[in-house]
Amino acid sequence: MNKKSLIQKAAASPHIVWSVLFIIAPLIFVMYYAFTDKDGNFTFSNFTELFQASYLEIFMRSVCFAFLATVLCLIIAYPIAYFIAKAKPKTQKILIMLVMLPMWMNFLIRTYSWMALLEDTGIINTFLGIFGIGPIHMINTAGAVILGMVYNYLPYMIIPIHSVLSKVDNRLLEAAADLGSNPFTVITKVVFPLSVPGIISGITMVFVPSISTFYISQKLGGGNFDLIGDTIERQFQTAYNYNLGASMSFVLMLIIIVSMTIMNKYADDDGGVII
Amino acid sequence: MKKTSKIYTSLIFIFLYLPIAVLILFSFNSSNSTNSMAGFSFKWYKELFSDGATLLALRNTLILAILSAIIATVIGTLAAYGISRMKNKHVKNTILTVNNIPMMNPEIVVGISMMLLFVFVGRMINTSSTLGFGTVLIAHVTFNIPYVVLSVMPKFKQMDRHLPEAALDLGCTPFQSFYKVEMPQIISGVISGFIMAFTLSIDDFIISYFTIGSGFETLPIRIYSMTKKRVTPDMYALSALIFLSILILLIISNFTGNSNTVKDKKPVTLKQKKTKRIVIASTFAAIAVITGAVFISTATAETVVVNVYNWGEYISDGSNDSYDSIGAFEEYYSDVLTEEKGHKVKVQVNYTTFTSNEDLYAKMKSGVGGYDVIVPSDYMIERLKNEGLIQPLDLNNIPNYKYIKDQFKKPFYDNGEETYSVMYTYGIVGIIYNTKYVDEADIGGWDLLWNNKYSGHILQFNNARDAFGSAMYKLGISVNNATETEWRTALGELKKQKPLVQSYVMDEIYNKLESEEAWIGAYYAGDALTMMYNNENLAFYYPKNQKGEFATNIFADAMCIPAGVDSESKKHAEAFINFMLSEEAAIANAEYIYYGSPNSLVTENSDYKEYLGDDYYVIYDPDIENNIDTLFSGYAYRNLSADKLALLNNLWEELKVDSSSFSGGIYIISGVIALGITGFIVFCYVNKVRRRRMYWSKNAKNSK
Repeated sequence: MNKKSLIQKAAASPHIVWSVLFIIAPLIFVMYYAFTDKDGNFTFSNFTELFQASYLEIFMRSVCFAFLATVLCLIIAYPIAYFIAKAKPKTQKILIMLVMLPMWMNFLIRTYSWMALLEDTGIINTFLGIFGIGPIHMINTAGAVILGMVYNYLPYMIIPIHSVLSKVDNRLLEAAADLGSNPFTVITKVVFPLSVPGIISGITMVFVPSISTFYISQKLGGGNFDLIGDTIERQFQTAYNYNLGASMSFVLMLIIIVSMTIMNKYADDDGGVII
Repeated sequence: MKKTSKIYTSLIFIFLYLPIAVLILFSFNSSNSTNSMAGFSFKWYKELFSDGATLLALRNTLILAILSAIIATVIGTLAAYGISRMKNKHVKNTILTVNNIPMMNPEIVVGISMMLLFVFVGRMINTSSTLGFGTVLIAHVTFNIPYVVLSVMPKFKQMDRHLPEAALDLGCTPFQSFYKVEMPQIISGVISGFIMAFTLSIDDFIISYFTIGSGFETLPIRIYSMTKKRVTPDMYALSALIFLSILILLIISNFTGNSNTVKDKKPVTLKQKKTKRIVIASTFAAIAVITGAVFISTATAETVVVNVYNWGEYISDGSNDSYDSIGAFEEYYSDVLTEEKGHKVKVQVNYTTFTSNEDLYAKMKSGVGGYDVIVPSDYMIERLKNEGLIQPLDLNNIPNYKYIKDQFKKPFYDNGEETYSVMYTYGIVGIIYNTKYVDEADIGGWDLLWNNKYSGHILQFNNARDAFGSAMYKLGISVNNATETEWRTALGELKKQKPLVQSYVMDEIYNKLESEEAWIGAYYAGDALTMMYNNENLAFYYPKNQKGEFATNIFADAMCIPAGVDSESKKHAEAFINFMLSEEAAIANAEYIYYGSPNSLVTENSDYKEYLGDDYYVIYDPDIENNIDTLFSGYAYRNLSADKLALLNNLWEELKVDSSSFSGGIYIISGVIALGITGFIVFCYVNKVRRRRMYWSKNAKNSK
């Protein structure tokens, strides 16, 4: 037995060592760079620089874009997750497989092919041109960037909501109906509250990558809609200003931690009960 | 209801599959366009299997995914075991919280945090090549582990703790108890963790992007550098093949999965158990054999590696039946070394690309790129030289240097005693425009890029020096000696231009101009010729300033060797430079990129002259060739002083984040939605409180 417990204790140690070296240490480096200047002296100037109107605008824009993309994903995903959950088990399996399949394709190339669709001389406008409509200007607009986010992260919203919905006990719904609920109130009072955990994890999985993306805004926004991700990437890859980039990453982490805590608080305390 | 749900579901699936359908359609395109179909052909599928770099990237991606998934599965499974048996709650929670960090943190933050670590370690141990396969592997394992832990943990939690004890009591050794009792219960979690890790690793771009260095390119990274210029349809063909194989795999697994659930009702026979075990064992064996084979194949011969960092599509690489200069060098130099050393030596060139001098500088400065040959432009060479980031060349190892024409031998950026660079190409920045849409009356100056008439169809450089250059040439400001006020004037000019600009581009300009998505853009003259071959409506001119004088940038790109390269690798790098100056390679490269060549073997070659036809006199305009010194001194960018560089960076940042083109609509919409959601939550909350109060007051009355 002694030997066994020793093994048990030791089993997690590679993971602990790895986490310290490659999760904790890198984050310490981010903080170190965020609070120092180019010569390594302690300073807050990287953060005061972020309070310029233009950077504030970038942060606000990123939050807004990610927020809208998340809301849109939720609105689009919820009904489809619900419909899939209502289908026969065999169909369900196939439909979910079809939802996941696009995620196996490289997301860069899928976003790139949206460019071919949305351009002024692109496929959609050529198609509309046959009927004498257009061309409608779509690419390099805020809408195109949000569309890219919704497209790329929609499956991340569908899957958790579906997995919660498919586990909802049908007898609960029957009971609600028996007690006099109409189909609409069954959904709002029973199904929806039960699916809150799925919604929460879906929101997290869409919001976090949306707010930090840089490829989508570059390709579909034409460089006119800089987001936090673009700005961070530029500091590290071309401007060579690690300190500013690190402070921006630090703020980005804070935004995410704060919004997740607020959301989880709702989920833990009241969540389903509120609604 | 049923019908609407079906329509809705199919609409969403159309949305999800539209881009994939487009991609598959264009993989059968007979031209190389990715937005107009010219005809049906299988040519890109054929091309794919001769595209060595793409296949290598595919191989790298698979190796990386398999290795990182295996390591993450081992560490993650052990960790799940250890954590689930932990008694101290606080320790357990702390470990799990840390474990969740890579999943919750935005990928870009994970990427840059690891990059900062690697850069720091690289500086500590003073090596110039930290970033590479090892660092990407570490990064991938790091973001894979949490997913493995999360999929294995529940299995350990579900398992009855007394089972292994019972097994031990009944005489099993600890190993047997693990293998016979615990293993079967967790294996499904382990496998799904492994698959998840494998998938994440294959698809990862952002984290690899920040932790990758020279000499190792994964498929997503290759696709990324391609989307910066143009994605050739062979990449679409590869994606279509990947899509098809995953589809087949899923169908098979779905099919077998179904048959399993039917069988589950019957007791599992020993034979089925055996076949299942055989399947699992053979899968693992196959994986082991593949990884082993890869290791052996890379370890059999002594391999000399030359890491080359060049501009995108800036070498004849064998595509479209062109001469493969890299392959030819590998073959040639391998023979040379084999003869010299008396045993088989393999030469491998790792060729990666950058899109601007500033990209290159950031990589060089971080000191972890590990490049042996780089090809910066004039002003950047001056800067790299001043900062000690490149080293003098030994011209004895580059005998072909004698073919460089005299006027290109001591250019302004490298005219000291020692030679730091060998010129690769030179050229002039011109304005390319589409004759179909642009009035001949409007052309001639830089003003065209500021012309309201073409708003939304103008492209601007996506790098600070060239973009500011265009404004400064327009206004007649000296690009090298401008005062701070003058720099700010140029910024004002660029801000004025921003609402007219369709997008800020580098090599994406090819696709945008050729497909007529954009009509006007400034770019390097050689590239203008390439575009004109692909779309005959395009034309170009050398722009004038507002006073009507010739005013544009003339540039040279040259091969250099970074300072950190040791003497052994330097010799190989010099051999590479020398080979690129040899007749066949130099001509092939010049034919491929259409820039001016400083090499007399090229310019005097009659086949080359014939190949270019009239364009020969566009590229080698005698006015330019004979006055190259005055042109360089009058019109080339020079390295700026440190404070001017900082200023330029700040102003560029200011331009990029300037939001004159941005409408407030989005803010209003999101504000309204946010208000709505808060209002709804508050409403529900108030309602709940009221209901609770009513309930309580009723209860109070009743109890009275």
